[in-house]
Amino acid sequence: MNIHDYISSGIIESYVLGLASPEESAEFERMCATYSELRAARNAFEIQLEASSQQQKIDPPRELKSRIFSRIGMESDALMSKPPINKPVLVPRIGFAKYVAAASLLLLAGSVALNFYLLSEYKKSIARNNELIAAQTQVAAANQVLSTKLQTYEETMGLMKNPLMAIIKMPGSPNSPAPSSMATVYWNTETKDVYLLVNKLPLPVPEKQYQLWAIVDGKPVDAGVFDIHEGLSFVKLKTIPKAEAFAITLEKKGGSPAPTMDAMYVMGRVTG
Amino acid sequence: MASTLIYSEQELINALKAKDDQAFSYLYDHYSGSLYSIILQIVKSPEIAGDVLQEVFINIWRKIETYDPLKGRLFTWMLNISRNASIDMLRSRNYQNSQKNQEITDNVYGIDQATQTSIDSIGLSKFLGKLRPEQRVLIELAYFKGYTHDEISQIEDIPLGTVKTRIRNALLQLRDYLK
Repeated sequence: MNIHDYISSGIIESYVLGLASPEESAEFERMCATYSELRAARNAFEIQLEASSQQQKIDPPRELKSRIFSRIGMESDALMSKPPINKPVLVPRIGFAKYVAAASLLLLAGSVALNFYLLSEYKKSIARNNELIAAQTQVAAANQVLSTKLQTYEETMGLMKNPLMAIIKMPGSPNSPAPSSMATVYWNTETKDVYLLVNKLPLPVPEKQYQLWAIVDGKPVDAGVFDIHEGLSFVKLKTIPKAEAFAITLEKKGGSPAPTMDAMYVMGRVTG
Repeated sequence: MASTLIYSEQELINALKAKDDQAFSYLYDHYSGSLYSIILQIVKSPEIAGDVLQEVFINIWRKIETYDPLKGRLFTWMLNISRNASIDMLRSRNYQNSQKNQEITDNVYGIDQATQTSIDSIGLSKFLGKLRPEQRVLIELAYFKGYTHDEISQIEDIPLGTVKTRIRNALLQLRDYLK
């Protein structure tokens, strides 16, 4: 059989339409490999068949394409996810791991350094805190002192402001050991309490103490001894029901039964 | 829209083998109508033909690597996938059950008559009408039912050589018919 007879035997159509037996198909493929004429004839029939089929189209249901592509999309995604696992992209991964490891060490070192820094700062803070607590205690103590002092001043001021107080000024006499001395008696005309404000008196020697005297009917009556303090010196002494004058002498510690007249520093008369 | 791209056959094949979605979309837009037509001529039911077409395109996507241009054109390859899938469907139990039901409803409502008529007027089905009856039955059994020459020889009680000759002569007429 020559090739032209073979071409016009119907084998081309039979093969292309899938009707040839496996043996016929195998033979046809061998013949095609040999005869370009046969290939050309086959190709011509295929093109005819395709062109004819394209003229006989029937549109499939519209939604079919999206259904097919969603299934393909899933398979496509599965395909695409494989290569990164199979391909030797491990090199950059190792590099990346190195970077991660290096970064971790840096972070660790940084963390350790930070911990030491924070520990020293913590210790400093504790020390500072202790200092602050001590200082605060001092301030609180000082504050306590001040508030006590203020309280005293306020009480003093309250007493001085009292309208019932009689004020007897006692200046230094020319014969006084300290002529510029001055003291003031605040005498409550109702309760007869006696308070003494030291305006100016020399500090006595340790073994001596100032003593206030009330002059009652021309005779001195002990009104109490007192010490001179820094700052405001306003002390309550003995209650004196009645007096014409008051005077202060410097006596031995604890006071004397009778005043030492040549040691009288100040004296003042009760007026009105 | 996507079909504004024009591929040469070789470009299309290369793009498909690269699993290019756009090329596959072009392929679908370009060939789904003719393949659906080929499938419909065999399975008769539009619904089943749609299912088969879906399987066909999935198979084209999966098996494009195995397509060998030396053995024929891309369309020929797809045609054979479509025809084989259609015949597999014909032989499936589901299809045969559905056809039994179909026959009952057809008898009651005469539904498929229009579809059948339109199928008969296209492609190889139309060509069948041009053939002599003794050729027509063999093409019917071989191409549309998927029987081998041996099987046809037994079914029709005709010698194998006669089956081959008649089929080939019929197919030679197809070449002239397509012109």
